[in-house]
Amino acid sequence: MTAADLSSEKQRLSGGKSGYRLRWSAFSGLLIALVLPVSGFAVWQLLVSSGFASGRLVPPPSRILSALWQLQQTGELSHHLVATCLRVLSGFAAGAVAGIILGGVTGYFRPARRLLDPTLQALRAIPSIAWVPLFILWFGIFETSKVTLIAVGVFFPVYLGVSASLVSVDRKIVEVGRIFRLSGFEMVRRILFPAILPALVVSLRTGLGLGWMFVVAAEFMGASEGLGYLLVDGQQLGKPDQIVAAILVFAILGKLSDGLLVLLTAPLTAWQDNYQKERK
Amino acid sequence: MLSLLSLSKTYPSGVEALSNFDLEIRPGEIVAVIGGSGCGKSTLLRVISGLEPATLGQVRIHGEEVTAPHPLINLIFQEPRLLPWLTVEQNISFGIRHLDAREQGRRVRGVLQQVQLQGYETRLPKELSGGQAQRVAIARALVTQPEVLLLDEPFSALDAMTRGSLQRHLLHIWRETAATIVIVTHDIEEAAALAHRVVVMRPSPGTMLEEITIDLPLPRNELEADLDPFKKRIRTALHRSLAYADGTDLMLV
Repeated sequence: MTAADLSSEKQRLSGGKSGYRLRWSAFSGLLIALVLPVSGFAVWQLLVSSGFASGRLVPPPSRILSALWQLQQTGELSHHLVATCLRVLSGFAAGAVAGIILGGVTGYFRPARRLLDPTLQALRAIPSIAWVPLFILWFGIFETSKVTLIAVGVFFPVYLGVSASLVSVDRKIVEVGRIFRLSGFEMVRRILFPAILPALVVSLRTGLGLGWMFVVAAEFMGASEGLGYLLVDGQQLGKPDQIVAAILVFAILGKLSDGLLVLLTAPLTAWQDNYQKERK
Repeated sequence: MLSLLSLSKTYPSGVEALSNFDLEIRPGEIVAVIGGSGCGKSTLLRVISGLEPATLGQVRIHGEEVTAPHPLINLIFQEPRLLPWLTVEQNISFGIRHLDAREQGRRVRGVLQQVQLQGYETRLPKELSGGQAQRVAIARALVTQPEVLLLDEPFSALDAMTRGSLQRHLLHIWRETAATIVIVTHDIEEAAALAHRVVVMRPSPGTMLEEITIDLPLPRNELEADLDPFKKRIRTALHRSLAYADGTDLMLV
Protein backbone atom coordinates (compact mmCIF):
# COMPACT_ATOMS: atom_id res chain seq x y z
CA MET A 1 0.00 0.00 0.00
CA THR A 2 1.42 3.38 -1.01
CA ALA A 3 1.46 6.55 1.08
CA ALA A 4 -1.42 7.89 -1.03
CA ASP A 5 -3.48 4.77 -0.29
CA LEU A 6 -2.82 5.09 3.43
CA SER A 7 -3.79 8.75 3.41
CA SER A 8 -7.07 8.00 1.57
CA GLU A 9 -7.83 5.18 3.99
CA LYS A 10 -7.23 7.53 6.90
CA GLN A 11 -9.56 10.08 5.33
CA ARG A 12 -12.25 7.44 4.91
CA LEU A 13 -11.97 6.33 8.53
CA SER A 14 -12.27 9.89 9.77
CA GLY A 15 -15.35 10.54 7.57
CA GLY A 16 -17.75 11.15 10.53
CA LYS A 17 -15.39 13.57 12.15
CA SER A 18 -14.90 15.52 8.95
CA GLY A 19 -18.71 15.84 8.51
CA TYR A 20 -18.96 17.43 11.94
CA ARG A 21 -15.93 19.60 11.17
CA LEU A 22 -17.56 20.80 7.93
CA ARG A 23 -20.77 21.79 9.74
CA TRP A 24 -18.80 23.61 12.42
CA SER A 25 -16.69 25.28 9.72
CA ALA A 26 -19.87 26.55 7.96
CA PHE A 27 -21.35 27.82 11.23
CA SER A 28 -18.15 29.52 12.38
CA GLY A 29 -17.81 31.02 8.89
CA LEU A 30 -21.27 32.58 9.28
CA LEU A 31 -20.36 33.95 12.73
CA ILE A 32 -17.10 35.45 11.43
CA ALA A 33 -18.88 37.00 8.45
CA LEU A 34 -21.34 38.72 10.81
CA VAL A 35 -18.65 40.23 13.04
CA LEU A 36 -17.98 43.31 10.88
CA PRO A 37 -21.58 44.40 10.05
CA VAL A 38 -22.90 43.66 13.56
CA SER A 39 -20.00 45.54 15.19
CA GLY A 40 -20.51 48.48 12.83
CA PHE A 41 -24.22 48.63 13.61
CA ALA A 42 -23.59 48.29 17.35
CA VAL A 43 -21.04 51.13 17.36
CA TRP A 44 -23.31 53.38 15.32
CA GLN A 45 -26.28 52.63 17.56
CA LEU A 46 -24.15 53.40 20.61
CA LEU A 47 -22.93 56.69 19.14
CA VAL A 48 -26.48 57.83 18.32
CA SER A 49 -27.99 56.60 21.61
CA SER A 50 -25.30 58.37 23.68
CA GLY A 51 -25.80 61.60 21.76
CA PHE A 52 -22.39 61.70 20.03
CA ALA A 53 -24.12 61.58 16.62
CA SER A 54 -27.52 62.90 15.59
CA GLY A 55 -28.50 59.97 13.35
CA ARG A 56 -30.66 62.32 11.30
CA LEU A 57 -29.15 61.56 7.87
CA VAL A 58 -27.59 58.19 8.79
CA PRO A 59 -30.23 56.58 10.98
CA PRO A 60 -29.18 54.09 13.68
CA PRO A 61 -30.05 50.38 13.33
CA SER A 62 -33.04 50.70 15.68
CA ARG A 63 -34.73 53.21 13.34
CA ILE A 64 -33.82 51.15 10.27
CA LEU A 65 -35.32 48.03 11.81
CA SER A 66 -38.37 50.01 12.86
CA ALA A 67 -38.77 51.31 9.28
CA LEU A 68 -38.45 47.77 7.97
CA TRP A 69 -41.02 46.54 10.49
CA GLN A 70 -43.49 49.23 9.49
CA LEU A 71 -42.99 48.49 5.79
CA GLN A 72 -43.55 44.83 6.53
CA GLN A 73 -46.66 45.50 8.62
CA THR A 74 -48.29 47.41 5.77
CA GLY A 75 -47.28 44.69 3.29
CA GLU A 76 -45.24 47.18 1.30
CA LEU A 77 -41.89 45.48 1.90
CA SER A 78 -43.03 42.09 0.56
CA HIS A 79 -44.69 43.76 -2.41
CA HIS A 80 -41.59 45.75 -3.39
CA LEU A 81 -39.27 42.87 -2.59
CA VAL A 82 -41.15 40.43 -4.83
CA ALA A 83 -41.26 42.96 -7.68
CA THR A 84 -37.50 43.53 -7.52
CA CYS A 85 -36.68 39.83 -7.17
CA LEU A 86 -38.81 38.94 -10.19
CA ARG A 87 -37.08 41.59 -12.28
CA VAL A 88 -33.61 40.41 -11.24
CA LEU A 89 -34.54 36.78 -11.80
CA SER A 90 -35.95 37.43 -15.29
CA GLY A 91 -33.07 39.71 -16.28
CA PHE A 92 -30.50 37.29 -14.87
CA ALA A 93 -32.01 34.32 -16.70
CA ALA A 94 -32.16 36.18 -20.02
CA GLY A 95 -28.70 37.73 -19.68
CA ALA A 96 -27.05 34.51 -18.50
CA VAL A 97 -28.58 32.39 -21.27
CA ALA A 98 -27.60 34.94 -23.94
CA GLY A 99 -24.12 35.29 -22.43
CA ILE A 100 -23.56 31.53 -22.35
CA ILE A 101 -24.78 31.04 -25.93
CA LEU A 102 -22.89 33.97 -27.48
CA GLY A 103 -19.82 33.35 -25.30
CA GLY A 104 -19.90 29.72 -26.37
CA VAL A 105 -20.20 30.61 -30.05
CA THR A 106 -17.40 33.18 -30.01
CA GLY A 107 -15.20 31.03 -27.77
CA TYR A 108 -15.55 27.92 -29.92
CA PHE A 109 -15.74 29.29 -33.46
CA ARG A 110 -12.82 31.49 -34.42
CA PRO A 111 -14.63 33.18 -37.37
CA ALA A 112 -17.56 34.04 -35.08
CA ARG A 113 -15.13 35.49 -32.54
CA ARG A 114 -13.52 37.68 -35.17
CA LEU A 115 -16.91 38.83 -36.41
CA LEU A 116 -18.79 39.37 -33.14
CA ASP A 117 -16.33 39.92 -30.35
CA PRO A 118 -15.03 43.41 -31.30
CA THR A 119 -18.59 44.77 -31.48
CA LEU A 120 -19.63 43.12 -28.24
CA GLN A 121 -16.53 44.42 -26.48
CA ALA A 122 -17.35 47.94 -27.70
CA LEU A 123 -20.94 47.59 -26.44
CA ARG A 124 -19.56 46.36 -23.10
CA ALA A 125 -17.78 49.68 -22.62
CA ILE A 126 -21.05 51.65 -22.74
CA PRO A 127 -22.14 52.82 -19.26
CA SER A 128 -25.34 51.09 -18.17
CA ILE A 129 -27.15 54.36 -17.56
CA ALA A 130 -26.61 55.31 -21.22
CA TRP A 131 -29.00 52.53 -22.25
CA VAL A 132 -31.86 53.83 -20.09
CA PRO A 133 -33.32 56.52 -22.43
CA LEU A 134 -32.98 54.23 -25.41
CA PHE A 135 -34.69 51.28 -23.70
CA ILE A 136 -37.53 53.54 -22.56
CA LEU A 137 -37.98 54.69 -26.13
CA TRP A 138 -37.82 51.15 -27.50
CA PHE A 139 -39.66 49.16 -24.83
CA GLY A 140 -41.69 51.75 -22.93
CA ILE A 141 -41.54 52.52 -19.23
CA PHE A 142 -42.90 49.22 -17.95
CA GLU A 143 -41.31 45.83 -17.23
CA THR A 144 -39.65 45.07 -20.58
CA SER A 145 -37.22 47.98 -20.47
CA LYS A 146 -36.28 47.21 -16.85
CA VAL A 147 -35.69 43.51 -17.42
CA THR A 148 -33.73 44.29 -20.60
CA LEU A 149 -31.45 46.67 -18.73
CA ILE A 150 -30.76 44.03 -16.06
CA ALA A 151 -30.16 41.41 -18.76
CA VAL A 152 -27.60 43.71 -20.40
CA GLY A 153 -25.82 44.06 -17.07
CA VAL A 154 -25.74 40.29 -16.55
CA PHE A 155 -24.90 39.46 -20.16
CA PHE A 156 -21.43 40.99 -20.44
CA PRO A 157 -19.61 39.32 -17.54
CA VAL A 158 -21.16 35.97 -18.44
CA TYR A 159 -20.31 36.41 -22.13
CA LEU A 160 -16.74 37.46 -21.37
CA GLY A 161 -16.22 34.66 -18.82
CA VAL A 162 -17.51 31.92 -21.13
CA SER A 163 -15.77 33.20 -24.25
CA ALA A 164 -12.39 33.82 -22.59
CA SER A 165 -12.39 30.57 -20.63
CA LEU A 166 -13.30 28.54 -23.73
CA VAL A 167 -10.41 30.09 -25.64
CA SER A 168 -8.02 29.23 -22.83
CA VAL A 169 -9.06 25.60 -22.22
CA ASP A 170 -5.86 23.56 -21.90
CA ARG A 171 -4.80 22.22 -25.31
CA LYS A 172 -3.65 19.03 -23.61
CA ILE A 173 -7.10 17.92 -22.52
CA VAL A 174 -8.57 18.92 -25.88
CA GLU A 175 -6.03 16.56 -27.45
CA VAL A 176 -7.39 13.77 -25.26
CA GLY A 177 -10.78 14.39 -26.88
CA ARG A 178 -9.18 14.41 -30.33
CA ILE A 179 -7.36 11.10 -29.71
CA PHE A 180 -10.73 9.57 -28.82
CA ARG A 181 -12.21 11.10 -32.01
CA LEU A 182 -14.93 13.17 -30.33
CA SER A 183 -17.22 15.09 -32.68
CA GLY A 184 -17.46 18.87 -32.32
CA PHE A 185 -20.62 18.60 -30.21
CA GLU A 186 -19.16 15.84 -28.05
CA MET A 187 -16.00 17.88 -27.56
CA VAL A 188 -18.10 20.77 -26.24
CA ARG A 189 -20.29 18.56 -24.05
CA ARG A 190 -17.65 16.26 -22.63
CA ILE A 191 -14.51 18.38 -22.47
CA LEU A 192 -14.94 22.10 -23.09
CA PHE A 193 -18.09 22.70 -21.03
CA PRO A 194 -16.93 20.81 -17.92
CA ALA A 195 -13.52 22.48 -18.21
CA ILE A 196 -15.01 25.99 -18.12
CA LEU A 197 -17.56 25.29 -15.37
CA PRO A 198 -15.50 26.91 -12.58
CA ALA A 199 -15.03 30.05 -14.69
CA LEU A 200 -18.71 29.99 -15.66
CA VAL A 201 -19.76 29.91 -12.01
CA VAL A 202 -17.57 32.95 -11.28
CA SER A 203 -19.06 34.75 -14.30
CA LEU A 204 -22.59 33.95 -13.18
CA ARG A 205 -21.83 35.27 -9.70
CA THR A 206 -20.42 38.48 -11.18
CA GLY A 207 -23.43 38.72 -13.48
CA LEU A 208 -25.86 38.22 -10.62
CA GLY A 209 -24.11 40.93 -8.59
CA LEU A 210 -24.42 43.31 -11.53
CA GLY A 211 -28.06 42.27 -11.89
CA TRP A 212 -28.75 43.64 -8.40
CA MET A 213 -26.93 46.85 -9.30
CA PHE A 214 -28.77 47.29 -12.58
CA VAL A 215 -32.16 46.69 -11.01
CA VAL A 216 -31.71 49.92 -9.07
CA ALA A 217 -30.96 51.83 -12.29
CA ALA A 218 -33.94 50.07 -13.88
CA GLU A 219 -36.29 50.98 -11.02
CA PHE A 220 -35.19 54.58 -11.18
CA MET A 221 -36.83 54.61 -14.63
CA GLY A 222 -40.18 55.66 -13.27
CA ALA A 223 -41.05 52.46 -11.39
CA SER A 224 -44.06 52.39 -9.06
CA GLU A 225 -42.88 49.29 -7.21
CA GLY A 226 -39.64 47.64 -6.23
CA LEU A 227 -36.86 48.34 -3.75
CA GLY A 228 -35.43 50.95 -6.14
CA TYR A 229 -38.77 52.75 -5.94
CA LEU A 230 -38.46 52.71 -2.13
CA LEU A 231 -35.10 54.45 -2.50
CA VAL A 232 -36.53 57.18 -4.74
CA ASP A 233 -39.57 57.52 -2.52
CA GLY A 234 -37.37 57.81 0.58
CA GLN A 235 -35.28 60.52 -1.08
CA GLN A 236 -38.30 62.54 -2.25
CA LEU A 237 -40.08 62.31 1.10
CA GLY A 238 -36.92 62.85 3.15
CA LYS A 239 -36.98 59.43 4.83
CA PRO A 240 -33.35 58.33 5.26
CA ASP A 241 -34.40 55.36 7.41
CA GLN A 242 -36.44 54.01 4.48
CA ILE A 243 -33.48 54.54 2.12
CA VAL A 244 -31.03 52.73 4.39
CA ALA A 245 -33.60 50.00 5.04
CA ALA A 246 -33.94 49.42 1.27
CA ILE A 247 -30.15 49.42 0.88
CA LEU A 248 -29.89 46.87 3.69
CA VAL A 249 -32.47 44.65 2.00
CA PHE A 250 -30.49 44.89 -1.27
CA ALA A 251 -27.33 43.82 0.57
CA ILE A 252 -29.08 40.87 2.21
CA LEU A 253 -30.76 39.78 -1.03
CA GLY A 254 -27.47 40.07 -2.95
CA LYS A 255 -25.60 37.99 -0.39
CA LEU A 256 -28.35 35.38 -0.12
CA SER A 257 -28.72 34.98 -3.88
CA ASP A 258 -24.94 34.70 -4.30
CA GLY A 259 -24.79 32.12 -1.52
CA LEU A 260 -27.60 30.17 -3.15
CA LEU A 261 -25.82 30.22 -6.50
CA VAL A 262 -22.61 29.01 -4.89
CA LEU A 263 -24.51 26.27 -3.07
CA LEU A 264 -26.30 25.10 -6.22
CA THR A 265 -23.15 25.05 -8.34
CA ALA A 266 -20.80 23.60 -5.71
CA PRO A 267 -21.29 19.96 -6.85
CA LEU A 268 -20.30 20.98 -10.39
CA THR A 269 -16.90 22.24 -9.29
CA ALA A 270 -16.16 19.81 -6.46
CA TRP A 271 -13.48 18.11 -8.58
CA GLN A 272 -11.24 21.16 -8.48
CA ASP A 273 -7.92 20.55 -6.79
CA ASN A 274 -7.04 23.85 -5.19
CA TYR A 275 -5.04 24.90 -2.19
CA GLN A 276 -8.04 26.37 -0.34
CA LYS A 277 -9.72 22.95 -0.26
CA GLU A 278 -6.43 21.46 0.92
CA ARG A 279 -6.37 23.95 3.80
CA LYS A 280 -9.91 23.01 4.84
CA MET B 1 1.60 -3.58 -40.05
CA LEU B 2 2.36 0.08 -39.30
CA SER B 3 4.27 1.83 -42.07
CA LEU B 4 5.87 5.25 -41.91
CA LEU B 5 6.71 6.30 -45.44
CA SER B 6 9.08 9.23 -46.01
CA LEU B 7 7.46 11.21 -43.19
CA SER B 8 8.32 14.90 -43.02
CA LYS B 9 6.86 17.52 -40.74
CA THR B 10 7.55 21.23 -40.94
CA TYR B 11 5.68 23.45 -38.47
CA PRO B 12 4.14 26.76 -39.64
CA SER B 13 6.97 28.52 -37.78
CA GLY B 14 9.36 26.96 -40.30
CA VAL B 15 10.88 24.46 -37.86
CA GLU B 16 11.59 21.21 -39.68
CA ALA B 17 10.85 18.62 -37.00
CA LEU B 18 10.95 15.48 -39.16
CA SER B 19 12.51 14.73 -42.48
CA ASN B 20 12.16 11.71 -44.69
CA PHE B 21 11.51 9.22 -41.88
CA ASP B 22 10.90 5.63 -42.96
CA LEU B 23 10.01 2.74 -40.68
CA GLU B 24 8.09 -0.53 -40.94
CA ILE B 25 6.77 -1.88 -37.65
CA ARG B 26 5.51 -5.46 -37.48
CA PRO B 27 2.35 -6.38 -35.53
CA GLY B 28 3.18 -7.07 -31.88
CA GLU B 29 6.59 -5.47 -32.10
CA ILE B 30 7.90 -3.06 -29.45
CA VAL B 31 9.93 -0.21 -30.92
CA ALA B 32 11.71 2.33 -28.74
CA VAL B 33 12.52 5.71 -30.25
CA ILE B 34 15.40 7.44 -28.53
CA GLY B 35 17.23 10.69 -29.13
CA GLY B 36 18.19 14.03 -27.65
CA SER B 37 15.81 16.91 -26.95
CA GLY B 38 14.25 18.45 -30.03
CA CYS B 39 15.09 15.60 -32.38
CA GLY B 40 11.44 15.12 -33.34
CA LYS B 41 10.56 12.06 -31.22
CA SER B 42 7.31 13.50 -29.89
CA THR B 43 6.43 14.99 -33.28
CA LEU B 44 6.89 11.53 -34.77
CA LEU B 45 4.33 10.08 -32.33
CA ARG B 46 1.93 12.97 -32.88
CA VAL B 47 2.07 12.40 -36.64
CA ILE B 48 1.58 8.62 -36.25
CA SER B 49 -1.38 9.22 -33.91
CA GLY B 50 -3.01 11.59 -36.40
CA LEU B 51 -2.85 14.58 -34.03
CA GLU B 52 -0.51 16.38 -36.44
CA PRO B 53 -0.72 16.05 -40.20
CA ALA B 54 2.49 15.10 -41.98
CA THR B 55 3.79 17.77 -44.35
CA LEU B 56 5.02 15.05 -46.69
CA GLY B 57 4.87 11.26 -46.62
CA GLN B 58 2.31 8.90 -45.14
CA VAL B 59 1.44 6.85 -42.08
CA ARG B 60 -0.33 3.62 -43.01
CA ILE B 61 -1.95 0.98 -40.84
CA HIS B 62 -2.87 -2.23 -42.66
CA GLY B 63 -2.42 -0.24 -45.87
CA GLU B 64 -4.94 2.45 -44.83
CA GLU B 65 -3.59 5.99 -44.65
CA VAL B 66 -3.82 7.69 -41.25
CA THR B 67 -4.69 11.38 -41.58
CA ALA B 68 -6.57 11.88 -38.30
CA PRO B 69 -6.82 10.03 -34.97
CA HIS B 70 -7.55 6.40 -35.84
CA PRO B 71 -9.60 3.84 -33.85
CA LEU B 72 -6.77 1.30 -34.03
CA ILE B 73 -4.14 3.70 -32.70
CA ASN B 74 -4.01 5.25 -29.23
CA LEU B 75 -1.51 7.63 -27.70
CA ILE B 76 -0.42 7.82 -24.07
CA PHE B 77 1.04 11.21 -23.28
CA GLN B 78 4.00 12.12 -21.11
CA GLU B 79 1.63 13.36 -18.40
CA PRO B 80 -1.57 11.41 -17.58
CA ARG B 81 -3.98 14.10 -18.90
CA LEU B 82 -6.89 12.63 -16.95
CA LEU B 83 -10.05 14.70 -17.01
CA PRO B 84 -10.17 16.07 -13.46
CA TRP B 85 -13.98 16.14 -13.24
CA LEU B 86 -14.33 12.42 -13.98
CA THR B 87 -13.68 9.52 -11.64
CA VAL B 88 -11.13 6.84 -12.49
CA GLU B 89 -13.90 4.64 -13.91
CA GLN B 90 -15.38 7.47 -15.99
CA ASN B 91 -11.94 8.47 -17.26
CA ILE B 92 -11.24 4.93 -18.37
CA SER B 93 -14.58 4.49 -20.11
CA PHE B 94 -14.20 7.91 -21.78
CA GLY B 95 -13.31 6.41 -25.15
CA ILE B 96 -15.90 3.61 -25.15
CA ARG B 97 -19.08 5.52 -24.38
CA HIS B 98 -20.58 4.25 -27.63
CA LEU B 99 -20.65 0.70 -26.19
CA ASP B 100 -23.51 -0.53 -24.01
CA ALA B 101 -23.12 -0.18 -20.24
CA ARG B 102 -22.52 -3.89 -19.69
CA GLU B 103 -19.69 -4.07 -22.19
CA GLN B 104 -18.22 -0.83 -20.82
CA GLY B 105 -18.25 -2.26 -17.30
CA ARG B 106 -16.67 -5.53 -18.44
CA ARG B 107 -13.86 -3.75 -20.29
CA VAL B 108 -13.22 -1.25 -17.50
CA ARG B 109 -12.96 -4.07 -14.94
CA GLY B 110 -10.59 -5.91 -17.26
CA VAL B 111 -8.18 -3.02 -17.75
CA LEU B 112 -8.35 -2.03 -14.09
CA GLN B 113 -7.15 -5.54 -13.33
CA GLN B 114 -4.41 -5.22 -15.95
CA VAL B 115 -3.06 -2.04 -14.38
CA GLN B 116 -3.83 -3.33 -10.86
CA LEU B 117 -6.09 -0.48 -9.81
CA GLN B 118 -9.14 -2.41 -8.64
CA GLY B 119 -10.90 -0.49 -5.86
CA TYR B 120 -9.96 2.91 -7.28
CA GLU B 121 -13.02 3.24 -9.56
CA THR B 122 -14.72 6.10 -7.72
CA ARG B 123 -11.63 8.17 -6.99
CA LEU B 124 -11.02 11.51 -8.66
CA PRO B 125 -7.67 12.15 -10.39
CA LYS B 126 -6.69 14.57 -7.60
CA GLU B 127 -6.78 11.63 -5.18
CA LEU B 128 -4.22 9.59 -7.14
CA SER B 129 -0.44 9.50 -6.99
CA GLY B 130 1.58 10.20 -10.16
CA GLY B 131 2.13 6.49 -10.84
CA GLN B 132 -1.54 5.63 -10.27
CA ALA B 133 -2.65 8.46 -12.57
CA GLN B 134 -0.33 7.23 -15.31
CA ARG B 135 -1.71 3.72 -14.89
CA VAL B 136 -5.24 5.11 -15.33
CA ALA B 137 -4.04 6.86 -18.51
CA ILE B 138 -2.67 3.52 -19.76
CA ALA B 139 -5.96 1.82 -18.87
CA ARG B 140 -7.92 4.55 -20.71
CA ALA B 141 -5.90 3.83 -23.85
CA LEU B 142 -6.06 0.03 -23.45
CA VAL B 143 -9.82 -0.09 -22.97
CA THR B 144 -10.33 0.90 -26.63
CA GLN B 145 -8.35 -2.24 -27.56
CA PRO B 146 -5.96 -0.47 -29.91
CA GLU B 147 -3.68 -2.43 -32.20
CA VAL B 148 -1.00 0.23 -31.91
CA LEU B 149 -0.12 1.85 -28.60
CA LEU B 150 2.05 4.96 -28.76
CA LEU B 151 3.74 6.11 -25.55
CA ASP B 152 5.40 9.51 -25.37
CA GLU B 153 7.94 9.33 -22.52
CA PRO B 154 5.18 8.00 -20.26
CA PHE B 155 7.37 7.22 -17.27
CA SER B 156 9.81 10.12 -17.40
CA ALA B 157 8.21 12.10 -14.58
CA LEU B 158 8.09 9.13 -12.20
CA ASP B 159 10.50 7.89 -9.57
CA ALA B 160 12.73 4.91 -10.35
CA MET B 161 10.62 2.37 -8.43
CA THR B 162 7.33 3.43 -9.98
CA ARG B 163 8.97 3.56 -13.41
CA GLY B 164 10.25 -0.01 -13.01
CA SER B 165 6.83 -1.19 -11.85
CA LEU B 166 5.06 0.48 -14.79
CA GLN B 167 7.56 -0.95 -17.26
CA ARG B 168 6.72 -4.41 -15.94
CA HIS B 169 3.00 -3.55 -16.25
CA LEU B 170 3.56 -2.50 -19.85
CA LEU B 171 5.23 -5.79 -20.74
CA HIS B 172 2.48 -7.70 -18.95
CA ILE B 173 -0.12 -5.79 -21.02
CA TRP B 174 1.87 -6.40 -24.21
CA ARG B 175 1.89 -10.16 -23.53
CA GLU B 176 -1.88 -10.14 -22.93
CA THR B 177 -2.91 -7.90 -25.83
CA ALA B 178 -0.12 -8.48 -28.36
CA ALA B 179 -0.37 -4.79 -29.24
CA THR B 180 2.25 -3.05 -31.34
CA ILE B 181 4.03 -0.57 -29.10
CA VAL B 182 6.05 2.49 -30.06
CA ILE B 183 7.62 4.11 -27.02
CA VAL B 184 9.53 7.37 -27.05
CA THR B 185 12.12 7.59 -24.31
CA HIS B 186 15.36 9.31 -23.40
CA ASP B 187 16.43 6.49 -21.11
CA ILE B 188 18.87 3.96 -22.60
CA GLU B 189 18.10 1.38 -19.87
CA GLU B 190 14.39 1.63 -20.57
CA ALA B 191 14.83 1.31 -24.32
CA ALA B 192 17.13 -1.71 -23.94
CA ALA B 193 14.87 -3.43 -21.39
CA LEU B 194 11.61 -3.00 -23.29
CA ALA B 195 12.14 -2.93 -27.03
CA HIS B 196 12.68 -5.44 -29.81
CA ARG B 197 14.12 -2.62 -31.84
CA VAL B 198 15.61 0.73 -30.84
CA VAL B 199 15.49 3.60 -33.31
CA VAL B 200 18.04 6.31 -32.58
CA MET B 201 17.10 9.72 -33.97
CA ARG B 202 19.26 12.71 -34.73
CA PRO B 203 18.05 16.31 -34.66
CA SER B 204 17.85 19.25 -37.09
CA PRO B 205 15.86 17.92 -38.84
CA GLY B 206 14.64 14.84 -36.97
CA THR B 207 15.52 11.75 -38.88
CA MET B 208 16.64 8.19 -38.22
CA LEU B 209 20.32 7.76 -37.41
CA GLU B 210 20.49 4.06 -36.56
CA GLU B 211 18.28 1.05 -35.92
CA ILE B 212 19.41 -1.49 -33.31
CA THR B 213 17.65 -4.84 -33.03
CA ILE B 214 17.73 -6.48 -29.59
CA ASP B 215 17.17 -10.19 -30.14
CA LEU B 216 16.77 -11.15 -26.48
CA PRO B 217 13.51 -12.54 -25.08
CA LEU B 218 11.15 -10.34 -23.06
CA PRO B 219 10.84 -9.62 -20.18
CA ARG B 220 14.44 -8.60 -19.56
CA ASN B 221 16.24 -7.42 -16.48
CA GLU B 222 17.72 -3.97 -17.02
CA LEU B 223 20.87 -5.12 -15.26
CA GLU B 224 21.45 -8.39 -17.14
CA ALA B 225 24.87 -8.60 -18.76
CA ASP B 226 23.49 -9.75 -22.14
CA LEU B 227 21.98 -6.29 -22.59
CA ASP B 228 25.32 -4.52 -22.19
CA PRO B 229 26.48 -4.77 -25.83
CA PHE B 230 23.12 -3.35 -26.97
CA LYS B 231 23.27 -0.53 -24.46
CA LYS B 232 26.78 0.24 -25.63
CA ARG B 233 25.62 0.41 -29.26
CA ILE B 234 22.70 2.67 -28.32
CA ARG B 235 25.02 4.89 -26.29
CA THR B 236 27.53 5.17 -29.15
CA ALA B 237 24.75 6.01 -31.61
CA LEU B 238 23.43 8.62 -29.20
CA HIS B 239 26.87 10.22 -28.91
CA ARG B 240 26.89 10.51 -32.69
CA SER B 241 23.36 11.92 -32.57
CA LEU B 242 24.46 14.49 -30.02
CA ALA B 243 27.13 15.74 -32.35
CA TYR B 244 24.22 17.21 -34.33
CA ALA B 245 22.90 19.26 -31.47
CA ASP B 246 24.02 21.28 -28.51
CA GLY B 247 23.14 19.84 -25.09
CA THR B 248 20.90 16.89 -24.25
CA ASP B 249 18.64 15.50 -21.58
CA LEU B 250 19.84 11.93 -22.12
CA MET B 251 20.55 9.68 -19.21
CA LEU B 252 23.95 8.50 -20.38
CA VAL B 253 24.55 5.96 -17.65
